[in-house]
Amino acid sequence: MINVSLLTLTYPSGKGVFELDFTVPKGAVMGYLGPNGAGKTTTLRALLGFMRPDKGKCHIAGLDCIEEAPEVQKHLGYIPGEIVFPDGMYGDEFLSFMAAMRGTKNTTRLKQLLDMFELDPRGKIRRFSKGMKQKLGIVAAFMHSPEVLVLDEPSSGLDPLMQNRFTELILSEKALGRTILMSSHIFEEVEKVCDTVLIIKNGRIVKQAEVQALKDSQRKVFALTTADNSLAAKTLVAAGFKAQSDASGVVLIEVAGGNVDRFIKAAAELTVQNLSVKHQTLEDIFIDFYGKEVK
Amino acid sequence: MNLALFRHTLKRNWMLLVIFFGVLTMYMTVMLSMYDPADMAGLLAMMEAIPAGLRAAFGFEALATDLTGYLASWLYGLLMIGFPMVYSIILANGLVAKMVDNGSFAFLLSTPNTRVRIIVTQGVYALTSLLVLFALLFGVGVFSAETMFPGELDINAFLRLNITTMLVNMTVMMISFFFSCVFNETRLSLSLGAGIPISFLLMNMLGGSGPGLELLSSMSIFGFYDPRKIVAGASTWGVNSIYIALIVALFTAGTIIFNRKRLPL
Repeated sequence: MINVSLLTLTYPSGKGVFELDFTVPKGAVMGYLGPNGAGKTTTLRALLGFMRPDKGKCHIAGLDCIEEAPEVQKHLGYIPGEIVFPDGMYGDEFLSFMAAMRGTKNTTRLKQLLDMFELDPRGKIRRFSKGMKQKLGIVAAFMHSPEVLVLDEPSSGLDPLMQNRFTELILSEKALGRTILMSSHIFEEVEKVCDTVLIIKNGRIVKQAEVQALKDSQRKVFALTTADNSLAAKTLVAAGFKAQSDASGVVLIEVAGGNVDRFIKAAAELTVQNLSVKHQTLEDIFIDFYGKEVK
Repeated sequence: MNLALFRHTLKRNWMLLVIFFGVLTMYMTVMLSMYDPADMAGLLAMMEAIPAGLRAAFGFEALATDLTGYLASWLYGLLMIGFPMVYSIILANGLVAKMVDNGSFAFLLSTPNTRVRIIVTQGVYALTSLLVLFALLFGVGVFSAETMFPGELDINAFLRLNITTMLVNMTVMMISFFFSCVFNETRLSLSLGAGIPISFLLMNMLGGSGPGLELLSSMSIFGFYDPRKIVAGASTWGVNSIYIALIVALFTAGTIIFNRKRLPL
């Protein structure tokens, strides 16, 4: 549904995105992750047709994102990374203006969304809190029931309750078969809603993977406290494990999925005072990619 | 054209138009009330006290003594260009560059409307607002003149004067609008969109102030505009055509550039 092929878009500063190539199939939710300034927003600008790429093409629903931008917009809902509303508008005025600009008349979905986010759109937008502005942006992006959604950090500024509501919204849209590409810095949210993740750094894709596969590849880390930690570390290293004594006097051992039994048997030789499991979260995996140098 | 956007733009900007209409109405009625046919000789004598160059710079030379000529010299020489120029600069910048600069233009483009359609709507609003402004001012002028000095105003000449003055101001509007379309930052849009029309005005004022400087005024876009000649009966076809051509060219160029460029939204 969303197709980016060999997209290169550079700024005069030399930054930009280079030879991006990915596809979000119909009905899939893809998380778009990466450190600040990696090129996430630039990619979305090309998808929205705001910037003509130097090379490569973007297609949404089979339509060229630049040449057929108005047609693309009929199928698209967009939340900008930094939402700025037109000067001096009222919230409800803004929503009816957007509906008029799109030519949509049905307000059922709009009312549902306002209820869902407990948003009263009356009043000057300038006086709204950051969270309310974000909610207004979300409502404006979803109110015409678009098939494809491009969301740039959609839940930033929302309180935890509303972040959950937003997660529910994404899951319900996914159930309806919508295609979603969302950038986010909230790993928990990505873990909950995304099928695949795309990690970008310095304008290049460093990893594309299924969220489930990433979870499966997680290694377990055991934290072991024994009578003699340095002996314990030596014993386990000798047994072929990656073991380290940390500053607090705990031995941390990384164990791949299939080796748990062997680890327990090796540890049985030691005088174990405490044993606990530290889960490596997806966050650790992502952070790992964020820091990694790309060559 | 997109009607929803036109209504939105009107709602956001009508107040600005009302303010300028108010100021210009005030000037027009005050100027009219100061007209005294019997006293024109006294006024001329007073003008003699001002150095000739300065008089010419403000468009006060060759004072006509009839009401229409009086308005053409005193009101249309400078005020009817200068004040609407400020209006055009503010409006043109606000219609495009300001919204691109602050990012709110993204919402317009996330609807199924082409960039061309959006820009044309904004430009049409800009031109329509000037048409309305001059239509209203023409009405105010005719009404006040007929009330204070029945039968004195040459309405036909006054109409031709207003049409050409409106076209001159539309040209100014399109200069500012062009730069508003070209630049993504208000800073640049304003420095050229205001700087160029103001320079043209200064060139025209300087050009009128002394021999040998005429070239300056003929190089400015106001060089073709001579309100006294218009009310004296000179044909305005040529002048009007030049301004219309400039308006169309600037509008088209601005739209084409905006359609091609990268928007940092």
